[in-house]
Amino acid sequence: MGKELLYYLVFPGFIFLAFVGGLFSWADRKISAWVQFRKGPPLLQPFYDFFKLLLVKETILPSRGSKLTFLLAPVFGLAGALLSGIMILLPAFGLRQGFSGDVIVIFYMLTIPSLTYIIGALAAGNPLASVGASREVKLVISYELTFLLAIAAIISKSGMVTGLHQIIAVQQSQGAFAGSFSGILLVAVFVLCIQAKLGFVPFDMAEAETEITHGCFIEYSGAAYSLIKLTKYMMLFILPAFLCAMLLGGFRFNGIGFLWAFLKLIGVLLLITLIRNTNPRIRIDQAMRFFLIWMNLLVIVAIILDYFNF
Amino acid sequence: MLAGILLFFIPGRIRFVKELISILAVMAALYSSIVLFGTGDKLISVDDALRTGYQAHHNCLLADHGSICFQVDGLSRLIVLFLGIFGLLILVYCLTYNKGRIKGFYSWYLITLGASYGAVLSDNLLLFIIFWGVLGITLYKLIPGTDEASSAAAKKTLIIIGASDGIMILGIAIIWKICGTLSMADVSLPTSGALTAAAFLALLTGSFTKAGAFPFHSWIPDYAQYSPASSAAFLPASLDKLLGIYFLARITTDLFILTDPWRMLLLSLGVITIVAAVLMALVQHNCRRLLGFHAVSQVGYMVLGFSLGSMLGVAAGLFHMLNNVIYKSGLFLTAGNVEFRTGKEDIDELGDLSRSMPLTFFGAIVFALSISGIPPLNGFASKWMIYQAIIDFGSGSGLPNKLWILWLGLAVFGSALTLASFIKFIGGIFLSGKKQEFAQVREVPVLMWAPLILLALGCLLFGIFATGIILPRLLMPVSGVFVPAGFWNSSLVSVLVLISVLLGICLYLITGMKKFRTEDSFIGGEKLYETTGYPVSGFYHTLKEFRLMAWFYQKAEERWFDVYELSKRFTLWLSSLASRAHSGILPHYTVWIIAGLIILLMIMNT
Repeated sequence: MGKELLYYLVFPGFIFLAFVGGLFSWADRKISAWVQFRKGPPLLQPFYDFFKLLLVKETILPSRGSKLTFLLAPVFGLAGALLSGIMILLPAFGLRQGFSGDVIVIFYMLTIPSLTYIIGALAAGNPLASVGASREVKLVISYELTFLLAIAAIISKSGMVTGLHQIIAVQQSQGAFAGSFSGILLVAVFVLCIQAKLGFVPFDMAEAETEITHGCFIEYSGAAYSLIKLTKYMMLFILPAFLCAMLLGGFRFNGIGFLWAFLKLIGVLLLITLIRNTNPRIRIDQAMRFFLIWMNLLVIVAIILDYFNF
Repeated sequence: MLAGILLFFIPGRIRFVKELISILAVMAALYSSIVLFGTGDKLISVDDALRTGYQAHHNCLLADHGSICFQVDGLSRLIVLFLGIFGLLILVYCLTYNKGRIKGFYSWYLITLGASYGAVLSDNLLLFIIFWGVLGITLYKLIPGTDEASSAAAKKTLIIIGASDGIMILGIAIIWKICGTLSMADVSLPTSGALTAAAFLALLTGSFTKAGAFPFHSWIPDYAQYSPASSAAFLPASLDKLLGIYFLARITTDLFILTDPWRMLLLSLGVITIVAAVLMALVQHNCRRLLGFHAVSQVGYMVLGFSLGSMLGVAAGLFHMLNNVIYKSGLFLTAGNVEFRTGKEDIDELGDLSRSMPLTFFGAIVFALSISGIPPLNGFASKWMIYQAIIDFGSGSGLPNKLWILWLGLAVFGSALTLASFIKFIGGIFLSGKKQEFAQVREVPVLMWAPLILLALGCLLFGIFATGIILPRLLMPVSGVFVPAGFWNSSLVSVLVLISVLLGICLYLITGMKKFRTEDSFIGGEKLYETTGYPVSGFYHTLKEFRLMAWFYQKAEERWFDVYELSKRFTLWLSSLASRAHSGILPHYTVWIIAGLIILLMIMNT
């Protein structure tokens, strides 16, 4: 139990994830700044943001709506992000002990943050938050199927094993899945699902700062909002790591392996950030059609290609 | 033996009490409480008998070559245990909820419970169908039938259930013709021949109708909407699921040996049930009707589990059935509580009850997350097992095995849609917008919230101890021992979630408590009125705008997917054909009569 708690709170759990997630968030903001010919924030800016919200700012509660639910939702969201993060990172770092979850469990764990955003938004009693929540639900419905089909395709590629460490082991002995045609399609689908999961442009209609002033999070402030920020930092690291583990062959930590691991993660992050910075926001019905029809079609093509060993 | 005697004892007592009730109708409430105590004792004694290792497998009362036999094996023991628990819990709930709603409710309730015991325990198919038929009638009687809508729903239920019973009798007759025995333990048929296939289909119809799977599901939403919440929680949500799925388990594992095409059919029906019913649930406004559609949708998962044919699949199906019974009856009780205090069922008219009814809200959110399969609650545990079973099934070589990604994808998609519609349920009833008219609403009395909280705890416990205790102790004795392929440690994750929530609360207390302040919402400079809001019922209008979905909803509204309406149309069409012959012209009638005579003579000649 003590060991699990250590995993959970220190490495690769809370402290590690928060730290790396913060750095990733900085990288994301820095790259965005470069794209827009700005200077960008200093390295520790995400941490300044977090601690300012947590320690300095006051927390304003909405007068309509359920306060307890409103405050507890971010806590559950953070717990969900942490657990999914650990379930992904333990096998990705080659640690076999501790608690494990297969990819189906990880898939479900990864939806918890979105769910808590929605419940928190509904508990806020603000109509704009409700609009945000409604869009977030619809977005979840639409990318969930695609995401799962992509995961199922990877399960079938790796010979019907569901443990993430098994999937990584298969890739390390036979080469990464991304090295085939179907693998490339799956990477594309996966990246777009990550984009939607993170709520990045073009799928940021649930937050849409310019339109519904941060939608789901409009009522959040102070400590509660700091937790949401932290969850978002972590997700920004967890999801690319999941992609690397599922399709890009995982990580190896010996000599040159460190560099490769770093490059893979940064490469995925760069891709996500560039998509985010070069696209407009689309409407929710467009997003639903995009995922439910086109992305699913793409995955099905990938599955069929895989069936013929391409 | 004890179970068998009890079984006869319960209906005996009921008839006695029922007579009393019909004589002293005014004192029904008083007698019902006496009956309740009697039932409570008996249930406990049944459970005791089971716990003290009542292992006898074939327990013949009249050992006449097994003609009338009661069978107690792992499966029926499990079901009986849950029948007892739910009978008691919902009866407690009814004490306050049901005052003066249905005449003779308690006697019908007890007959239902007794007949359910009988159906589950009987080994003889004939005896089984008798109990099963009794259940159809009690289902009809547990709905008030005072106004037009509810009596129409009751009639629909009776007709669909009655028709399925008729088909089942046909199936049983076929089995008797083939095997010459009616004992379930002795029958094991391959489903290759035409006759056995017909028998299988007939029995499958019965079980699907009872459990409410597509295409015989259409009585459930109506029943859920128009019956009192207690009846809905008792029958479609718990008892009928237990029975229908019990029978499905019997026919797919004991009575018949499935072949690939049948698996294919079952799997397709399973996923259609999941997705179609949940799509209908998404657009409902009446919260009980919404729950009714979910009661249909969840059956799909169980059908999936059983049709896979592996031990893991059977265990997963059973586990999902138990979990479903827990959270679904809990949800119906929640809806009952809300209706009890506010008198409203429409999601649009409700809102912001989370502060005035905190216990009900707690229960509702646990049930809703559970049914949507959020880890570490029980709904997740059983869905996860079903997914594992599907993946495991996928390594086989048949055509249904090759399509595993389809089954898995649609099952998970159904689960995402379930989440979406429960966000509507929770958000609409408990969270969104403040309504002045509910300022006086209070929490329900203790006898109503206690069963609810117990069920919610059941959800939590079944989820937390899923892999450690429930699976090896409760399910493996029924399905056989197996090793799940995936990895999931429910207890550890639950402990960590608990720790992090405690830490989170500490964080709030340490950092922010003095800085908390309550303010009105800011909506971009607009004025915020009492009625300002974005109703949750508008959440899924986008879905209706898609062409395919619009078509689906329109057809569903015209009841194209409703067996009852379809057969009604067919019957009306037939009778219109027949009525055309009644032209009122004498020569036409004479021609008919002479033609009939000729045909009769010809038959007699041969």
